[in-house]
Amino acid sequence: MKERVDVTDVGTPTRTTPRALGTTPRGQRGRRLAPYLFIAAAAVYLLLLTGAPLLDGLWLSLTDTQLLNPTEGAFIGIHNYSSLFADAEFAHALVVTIVYSTATVLGSLTVGTVAAVAMNGAFRGRVLARAILTFPWAVPSVAAVLIFSWIYNKDSGVLNQALSSVGLAQHGWLVDPTWSLFAVTLASVWKVFPFVMLVVLAALQAVPEELYEAARVDGADAFNRFRTVALPFLLPTLRVTALLMTIWSFRRFEIIWLLTQGGPVGSTNSLVISVYREAFVNSELGRSAAMGVVGLVLSTIVTVIFFYVDRGAARKEAL
Amino acid sequence: MPRIRFNGITKTYGDHEVIKTFSADVPDNEFLVLLGPSGCGKSTMLRMIAGLTDITAGELEFDGTVVNGTEPKERDIAFVFQSYALYPHLTVRANIAFPLLMSRFKPYHHLPVVNTLMRRRVLRDPDVDAQVRRVAAMMELTDYLDRRPRTLSGGQRQRVAVGRALIREPSMYLLDEPLSNLDAILRSQMRAEISDLHHRVGKSFVYVTHDQVEAMTMGTRIIVLNEGVIQQYGTPKEIYDSPANTFVARFIGSPPMNLIRCRLDGRSLRFPDGVTLKLPEGCASPSAPDRDVLLGVRAEKISVAPSDAVASDTMPAHIIVSEYLGAETVVAFKLGRRADQTEQDTVAKHDLQQARIPGELHLTPGADFTVRLDLTNVSFFDVDSGERLPVAVPEATR
Amino acid sequence: MTLRKTLSSAVRGFGISLLVVVAGFPVYWLFTTATHTTAELFGGQVQWLPDLRRFLTSFTSATSGVPMLRWLSNSAVVAFGTTFLSLIIAILAAYALSRYRFRGKGVFGFALFATQMLPEALLVVPLYSIFLTFGLLDNLTGLVLSDTAFAMPVAVWILKSAMDGVSLEIEESARVDGCPRYAMLTQIMLPLIAPSIAAAAVITFFEGWNEYLFANTFITDEQKWPASKGLASFIGEFVTPLNHVMAAALMFTLPAIVFFLFVQRRIVSGLTAGSVKG
Repeated sequence: MKERVDVTDVGTPTRTTPRALGTTPRGQRGRRLAPYLFIAAAAVYLLLLTGAPLLDGLWLSLTDTQLLNPTEGAFIGIHNYSSLFADAEFAHALVVTIVYSTATVLGSLTVGTVAAVAMNGAFRGRVLARAILTFPWAVPSVAAVLIFSWIYNKDSGVLNQALSSVGLAQHGWLVDPTWSLFAVTLASVWKVFPFVMLVVLAALQAVPEELYEAARVDGADAFNRFRTVALPFLLPTLRVTALLMTIWSFRRFEIIWLLTQGGPVGSTNSLVISVYREAFVNSELGRSAAMGVVGLVLSTIVTVIFFYVDRGAARKEAL
Repeated sequence: MPRIRFNGITKTYGDHEVIKTFSADVPDNEFLVLLGPSGCGKSTMLRMIAGLTDITAGELEFDGTVVNGTEPKERDIAFVFQSYALYPHLTVRANIAFPLLMSRFKPYHHLPVVNTLMRRRVLRDPDVDAQVRRVAAMMELTDYLDRRPRTLSGGQRQRVAVGRALIREPSMYLLDEPLSNLDAILRSQMRAEISDLHHRVGKSFVYVTHDQVEAMTMGTRIIVLNEGVIQQYGTPKEIYDSPANTFVARFIGSPPMNLIRCRLDGRSLRFPDGVTLKLPEGCASPSAPDRDVLLGVRAEKISVAPSDAVASDTMPAHIIVSEYLGAETVVAFKLGRRADQTEQDTVAKHDLQQARIPGELHLTPGADFTVRLDLTNVSFFDVDSGERLPVAVPEATR
Repeated sequence: MTLRKTLSSAVRGFGISLLVVVAGFPVYWLFTTATHTTAELFGGQVQWLPDLRRFLTSFTSATSGVPMLRWLSNSAVVAFGTTFLSLIIAILAAYALSRYRFRGKGVFGFALFATQMLPEALLVVPLYSIFLTFGLLDNLTGLVLSDTAFAMPVAVWILKSAMDGVSLEIEESARVDGCPRYAMLTQIMLPLIAPSIAAAAVITFFEGWNEYLFANTFITDEQKWPASKGLASFIGEFVTPLNHVMAAALMFTLPAIVFFLFVQRRIVSGLTAGSVKG
């Protein structure tokens, strides 16, 4: 028993109801203002350090600004955008972004979920194993890149050495266009799968033990138990994680840039790399900004789709 | 100390009316119980008294002063929450002393280290220490002062919550279902302790519960609420003996009051199965003659006799369930012989009646028997509205 | 039946070992490489085991050639600054999101989420010109400001979901006990969510500690480089011996690993709870 207590009574402007008698106007106004005071710092901060630069970026994308002469860009309308869509290199960058993101998201979701399921059971050394599986997430990207470029090293890297010792072909992982995207994706999956693992692990531990027991009594085997009991619990979490993974992949910069700088011959040249290269190598700030905006639009579309799917799924689950 | 006056209090959330024009006048030092089923608005009412929830319309007066819109701390109240709301990061000592800590709070205490130091200083203050010890002794918590709430049992936590309420010596104590998380034995023990506390401190208590046993045993005044509307306001005896409507009649008492539909014609009651009973002399009845009424009879006013005992004041009935409780037996029965019933409508809830009879009587379900109704203090309700019908003792009865 | 059981537990054991090896190997390799000379490393023979005797010398020589310690301390300054600024802003915002209903709440929540979609590479040029105007280039304060823009929203998520878990009755009780409204946050809320604050602190700390793109663009003075930029400068450069580079990278990595291990679970529950609700 307990009436649903209105939590937020405190700050709600009493729109539909007459103001309570005897309430001091000062107190009322203070309460109504309070939430805005609390978020003021964050809101101003976001406006100044992301909102304003974003608007500036939007403006830049409509100009022909050069890096060496950043204040003298002229307004050229949507020229940057139209030239981008006519540009085969840019189309290639989009393809690379999509391939890289899809592979990284699927890879990290799969490895992360498998790892979480493995870590969910009890076994000796579980705490240590989980700690080690978390390492990749904790390693700073720059350090991870240093390690991987050494592991991938064509002549002395441990990967090629190990491959040749078992009789397999060696590859120039980071210098061969056929393998570079694979190598970069592999390093990225290594870096981000622990996040998925930890999130899924947390969700798995929220599954009531009785459900597993009921499924066992009903004679379900381990795989069926996972599918019928755990998976429905995991789906909302997996959806959100997939969204985060996707939008993070779209903007992942350090790992790709420092491993390959988008090369060789553009094979790992994702959108974000193009944005950076266009600005700081080719000095075309306007074009770079236009690319960035396209990337942002892409993330927004993905987010909207995810929210749409999520809501649809939630509605289906509610039925 | 205060006399509480509710003057047309209303509470709405959006379009949803939670409390509908609530008016009552509660004298000083009463143990007022707000009683009602889940969702009836009683907790909202309490929170409005505390100042935790805004009052939409109407006035709340303490001793003639309107307190709408004043902060909880200005109302000189203490509140014991259902979940106890102990501060998990503080020891029992600091929990009990928290109101005193707050009364000495200065803005610069926000600084991280200063905060801890000041808290420690206040707790060491001999004055504060003495008060905490006094309350702890009263609540039998002296041995637990340096423990954290999570290491305590439910009953102990409950006592810490009450202790925290006691230390400020407020003029009014508000308790929101404080016993609902305790087990049955602890609950009856705490019930006695809280009643005792009320006598000792001599302050006003407002107590919210859905448990009519708590209301009857502890309250000196009870307000019965249903769907945001006051059903009845009175002493436990008034509410038990003369419920204002069928809702109160069915809500108070275990088993609830029996409501039997019959036709009242002058001083005689004619039941659907043909039996006619006469009201005894000197007993009050509604003045309006010849109408359908609901006759309200308490379970303990019904006695049973074997089926062959036929007397002028008995009615035939048959047993549905018999619950043996040791000292007493509660019998659920239906009026009329078993043979006369069509099987489909057997256990329609409304015409199932209950009698409370001595425990040693054993009755077999399904058997026929006769019941005798003690009609000296019965209630009459309107069939449609469920309202209590006013009664009068006729001056001269034939 | 028992055979099947042993078999399945063997498969499971193998799977777990494989995962642990794959996840742990690069870190192990970082350590191992740091303890071998370049001659050994490039000699055509894989050095599978670390040479523990060389452990200390690698570290000392890693710090001798380049201002590694200077860089690390710059990183620490940026990281502490980011943590401090992010937490103050995030605690206030999270409290409003958790405890109040107000117009614009949805927009504000979305804006916080949207920062996770913004490519830094798009913002870096406009930020550069803003920082140029305010003299924040080549200045660690500028880095703190830009890193906070991305770290703070994550901290808000974590803290908001922690605050959602604190029962309202506790705050109401404090109100009745005479706790002033402005004191509620420091007296009641913050002590109760201390573990989540720690988690948010670690996450924001490493946002500042690890950040590379802004550091690379805004800081040109080598003395002011944070370690991420310093380490990145070794990539594709062959003057510094590889084992020194790896030792430096290890110094950069260890604090991160240690801190993350402490708080990983809370970070995750905070992140998911916060983001599920949008």
